[in-house]
Amino acid sequence: MTAKIIDGNAVARHVRGEWKKRVEALKLRGIVPGLAVVIVGDSPASRVYVRNKVKACAEVGLHSETHEFPADSGEQTIIKRIEELNANPAIHGILVQLPLPPHLETRHLLGAIAIDKDVDGFHLYNVGGLVVGENNIFPPCTPYGVQCLLEYENIPIEGQNVVVVGASNIVGKPMALMLMAKDATVSICHIKTRDLAQYTILADILIVAAGCPRLISAPMVKRGAAVIDVGINQLPDGRLVGDVDFDSVKEKASYITPVPGGVGPMTVTMLICNTVAAAERNAAKNAEKIPVPA
Amino acid sequence: MAATLLDGAAIAHQVFSRLKERIHTLHARGLQPGLAAILIGENSASKIYIKNKAQACQDVGVYSEVHRFGADCSEEQVFAIIQHLNVDPRIHGVLVQLPLPAHLNSERILQAIAPAKDVDGFNWVNLGAMVAGHTMLAPCTPLGVMTMLDYARVPIEGRSAVVVGRSAIVGKPLALMLIARGATVSVCSSKTPDLRQYTLMADILAVAVGNPGLVDGSMIKPGAVVIDVGINRLPGGKLVGDVDFASASQVASRITPVPGGVGRMTVAMLLENTVTATERSVGID
Repeated sequence: MTAKIIDGNAVARHVRGEWKKRVEALKLRGIVPGLAVVIVGDSPASRVYVRNKVKACAEVGLHSETHEFPADSGEQTIIKRIEELNANPAIHGILVQLPLPPHLETRHLLGAIAIDKDVDGFHLYNVGGLVVGENNIFPPCTPYGVQCLLEYENIPIEGQNVVVVGASNIVGKPMALMLMAKDATVSICHIKTRDLAQYTILADILIVAAGCPRLISAPMVKRGAAVIDVGINQLPDGRLVGDVDFDSVKEKASYITPVPGGVGPMTVTMLICNTVAAAERNAAKNAEKIPVPA
Repeated sequence: MAATLLDGAAIAHQVFSRLKERIHTLHARGLQPGLAAILIGENSASKIYIKNKAQACQDVGVYSEVHRFGADCSEEQVFAIIQHLNVDPRIHGVLVQLPLPAHLNSERILQAIAPAKDVDGFNWVNLGAMVAGHTMLAPCTPLGVMTMLDYARVPIEGRSAVVVGRSAIVGKPLALMLIARGATVSVCSSKTPDLRQYTLMADILAVAVGNPGLVDGSMIKPGAVVIDVGINRLPGGKLVGDVDFASASQVASRITPVPGGVGRMTVAMLLENTVTATERSVGID
C-alpha cells in the first residue's frame, strides 16, 4: 500500500476559497476583516513570515497592516500600540510575530492582546479554553491546520488512537487537547519518552512535531496510519525535511503529509480563518446591540 | 504482592504542618493569608464543604470569610462581590462553591475571579498557564495527586503515565502536570475502545471517571502506582472508587484507598494555593 499524499497547498487553497465567501458576505454588510501584525526587530525569517501573512490577507480580501518597531523598543511602547489596536474597530485580529528580542517578555506582550482579537490563540485565556474544550476561542494556527487537514480528508478522529510526538506549548500540547475534545485517545510523547516506538506503533493518527529529522521510520508506524509531519528541518545540504522518513513511511501509512507542502501552507490559512471568525463574532455582538425597531 | 497504601490523611497531615511553617513566616511579616468563599443556595453538601474549608483555615491560621447568597440571586450580585474581593487586600484567595443554581453561568462567573486569587484554579488563564508550562495556580484535585506522588517519592520523569478521564478540572490538568514533569502521558476516556491496552503500559495510573470497578487488577501493570480519584456511592451506601481495590492492590506497588486517599488532599491543596497566592502577592516565589 502506498499512502495518499495530503497536498497541503491544495487543501489550503480550498479552505481559503471557502473563507473568501464569508469575507464577501461580511463586505456586503460593510465589514472588512482586518489583521494587524506587530513585528519587533529585523529578523529576516520573521520578515518572510509576515510578508506571507500579508499576502494571504490580500488574497482572501482582508485588510492588513504591519506595525514595525526597532529591536530595542521598550515593552511599554509596544503595549501602548497593542492597546490602540485593541480599541481600533477596523482591526479584528492582532498578532505579535515571534520570537521577540530577548529583552522583551513574550508573555506580557501576548497578554496585552484583547482576547477577542487574539487570532494566534496564544493568550492564556484562549489556551485555557482549549483545556475546557470551549469552541468559541481561537485555536492556535498550526494544530488547527492539522485538524483541518484531518477533517478535509475525512480521517476519523473519535475513538481513534492518536499519538502526538513533541510536547511544545504551541503545537504538541494544544494539538493533544484539541483531539481529546474530538473524543480521541491521545498519548503525548516527547524527548523524555523512553520507548517512543511502543507508542507510535499504536497510532491510528500519528502527529510528529519534534524538530528532529527522520525521527520516525517505517517500523515505528502502524500499517494504515495517517501520518502528519509538522517538523521542518534544514539539512546541511540545504534540503528541507520533516521529522518523518517520508520515503519509507509512505509505503506503510494510509495518509502522509509531505514536507514542504503539507502542514506548512495550512498555518497561515488558519490565521486568516481566525481573523475572519473574529470579525464575524464581532459583527454578531454588534448586531445584538442594535435596538430592534418597534 | 500486596501494595503499600498511599494514605491521603497522613500525607495531608504532613502538607498541613509544612503549610503552618509558611503561614508562620507570613505572620512574622505582618501578613495573614485570607480566603473568601462564595456560597449560593441551600445545597447541603456545599454547606458541609464550606464548613470544612473554614475549619481548616482556622486550624492553620488563615483568615476566612463566607459570602452567602440565596438560590435566586442574580449573576450581577455575584459579579459585584467577586469584583469587591478581587481588590480586597485582606483576601488572597477567592472561591465560588460549585455547583451553582441552574440559572447562573458558572463558567462565566469563574472567569470573573482575578487569576492571581483563583485558588480553585478554574480560571481559563490559570488553565492556559498550565499548557504554557508555567503553572500559577493549579486545580486542587490534580495538585493533590501530584503532591501524593511526590510525598511517596514516586519517580515521574520518563515514566509512562495513563490518565483515565479527561475532565477540565481533573484529567486534563493532571495530564499537563505529568507532562511538565517529564512523563509520557496517555489520556483515555469512555470513548477509548481498548482501555486495557493503555492501562497495562502505565507505571503511574490515575483514574478519574466516576465508574465503580472500571479498572481491575488484570488491567494493571505489576508494580504500578495506582491513584484512584473516583468517589462513587454504591446502592448500599458504601463509598468506592473507580478501581477494584481488592484485585488492584494485589498487582500494584502503591495504591490510594477510597475513601481516605485523594479526597483527603483537596482541602489541603486549597489552603496551599491560598498560601502560595499570598506569598506571590508580596513577591515571594
